[in-house]
Amino acid sequence: MSAPRVGLIGAGGISGVHAAGWRALGADVVVHSEHGAQALADRFGFRTADTLADLWPQVDLVDIVTPTATHAELALAAIAAGRHVVCEKPLARTSVEAAAVVEAAESAGVRLFPAHVVRYFPEYAAARAAIRGGRIGTVAVARFRRMSAAPKADWFFDEARSGGIVLDQMIHDLDQAEWLAGPVARVFARSTAKAGDGGRVASAAVTLTHTSGAISQVYGVWGHPGLPFTSSFEIAGDAGLLRYDMARTDSARIHLAGPATAGGYLPATDPSDSPYAAELADFWAAISTSAEASVRGVDGVRAVAIAEAVLASAASGEVVELPLEPTEPSTEGSLP
Amino acid sequence: MTTALGPISTSPTTEPTTVPLTVGILSFAHTHASSYARILAATPGVEVLGTDPGPYDPGTVRGAAFAAEHGVTYVEDVATLLAKAPDAVVICAENTSHRELTELATAAGAHVLCEKPLATSDADAAAMLAAADAAGVILMTAYPVRFASAFTDLVARVRAGQLGDIYSILGTNNGKMPLAQRSWFTDPARSGGGALLDHVVHVADLIDALLGEGAEEVHAVTNRILRADAGVDVETGGMVSIRYPSGVIATIDCSWSHPESAPNWGGLTLEVHGTAGSVRIDPFAAHVAGYDADGELWAGFGADLDARMLGEFLDAVRTGRTPQPDGAVGARTLAIVTAAQRSVEAGQPVTL
Repeated sequence: MSAPRVGLIGAGGISGVHAAGWRALGADVVVHSEHGAQALADRFGFRTADTLADLWPQVDLVDIVTPTATHAELALAAIAAGRHVVCEKPLARTSVEAAAVVEAAESAGVRLFPAHVVRYFPEYAAARAAIRGGRIGTVAVARFRRMSAAPKADWFFDEARSGGIVLDQMIHDLDQAEWLAGPVARVFARSTAKAGDGGRVASAAVTLTHTSGAISQVYGVWGHPGLPFTSSFEIAGDAGLLRYDMARTDSARIHLAGPATAGGYLPATDPSDSPYAAELADFWAAISTSAEASVRGVDGVRAVAIAEAVLASAASGEVVELPLEPTEPSTEGSLP
Repeated sequence: MTTALGPISTSPTTEPTTVPLTVGILSFAHTHASSYARILAATPGVEVLGTDPGPYDPGTVRGAAFAAEHGVTYVEDVATLLAKAPDAVVICAENTSHRELTELATAAGAHVLCEKPLATSDADAAAMLAAADAAGVILMTAYPVRFASAFTDLVARVRAGQLGDIYSILGTNNGKMPLAQRSWFTDPARSGGGALLDHVVHVADLIDALLGEGAEEVHAVTNRILRADAGVDVETGGMVSIRYPSGVIATIDCSWSHPESAPNWGGLTLEVHGTAGSVRIDPFAAHVAGYDADGELWAGFGADLDARMLGEFLDAVRTGRTPQPDGAVGARTLAIVTAAQRSVEAGQPVTL
């Protein structure tokens, strides 16, 4: 497998972990961004491109890590230029846009990977393997929980640009709910947002009913600045139960004298075994060998569609029925 | 854990008193009867009577044998016990009998501590409150988690403003399906329902105490995948979503989701998010872990919450004050369950 030539589009909050992942693959990376391209390039030893037109000839694929509302347009432009696309989740602001991106990629014969990185977090992959191995029997009731300090950039709270906590944060666990408990038939959701002294906070609470009859609860909080990142899940089947809580499964405890550390927006991950690096490696392997990755374009469309149902239910106060997943569920893929 | 900000009003007072009391336990159907009987029998100045009309599950210790094991004077039936004019009764009967026994006890002038859920219908709960009011006696609902130090500390922090404005709450009350000890828990004619009725009320009570407001809208879904092998006619899994008038959103997982192989009965957690702080409590987390010949070992420890709750009840009986959690919160939290049951039927949220 040759080293990839990557156009990294965007230099914001998530770009650092993607940049590290590409560097770990020995990629030749060119950064294009409205803001911060040079600083990111300097930090990782990458080059920059001032325009997309300059970027295309230098790369085999692009990795889009810009604000959500720009994903579809950039992905379509990259596809039109014949480049493979890795796109940060959500694949697009709307499922219609997301589906258009998938269709364009198929027509152009390029590969498309929405970066649903939680599929590459080892605790979630281990849960999937345990479920598929029959360890807990038939899934009955599942809970997925994710919280952190609220992000600082304005666009995260601009529903039109980001879809708020549901499309930005909770979409990880909406994807997990289907990945681990099968297709969702029905959604009920409530959400709330408040302005506090330390900034804005938001929360959403979602009940999913799966076609199997299983129930999932998906719970998300963007909290005060001191709230550390944690995620957890508990999945009960008729023959057993799986439980994981990042806050209770720490492999190191560090207490330093000095001011208390604030919360963070991203999870702490093992830098030598990063799920971000694992997902980019899986995507590049899939491109190089024409194989499937653990995430497909249609999975990105589906996650946005569920998130839209969540937003619709939260807005109307009513239960929202989801159309059945139009495509076959993910194959086993290459689990990390 | 220590209480950082001092006691709150729901803590039982510890004023010593020697007024002798007679307390009757009406039915040993609920497994908590064992704990209550043991604590009451060991309380100085309290004479404990008990009666247990049945029916009994085969192989269980009930009736006079149970009373003898727990140091309780056995009385042949409810009428005979009430004829002895007890100061108070503790009702541990099947859920659907709570109303009738409360009406009999209050008519006999006895104060009542009723096992949760207070009743199985809103009409029954209202009738019980009215009966207690008419008789001028106390009606208290048995919610022992209220007396956990982790919870009283949380309330104190919220009252002191440490969390800012509360906006989102996540609660869980999960455990094994209570089939092994008592079959009535999973017989709707006697229990009034399954996991919804059994497990929503504890968390709902804590939220009620924390927010000081009743629920506005409830959505629930349930299923029967867990323990489908047991052939019971009630829901075993359930997820309840509640909106409160202040805009707070709350979710409660009430599922009987712990398998029989688990090393303890289950647990309860409550997580509260405010604009200035977040607190998660897990009052039953304290335990010594390990392994025995059967696998995982769980030796729980911590304060006896039932003893604290009974202390509050007996103190209220002696002083005539209204104890907490009272019958009214029992009715408000039951209303969340009955709304959840209607929501399951309707497939949509239900306004209270």
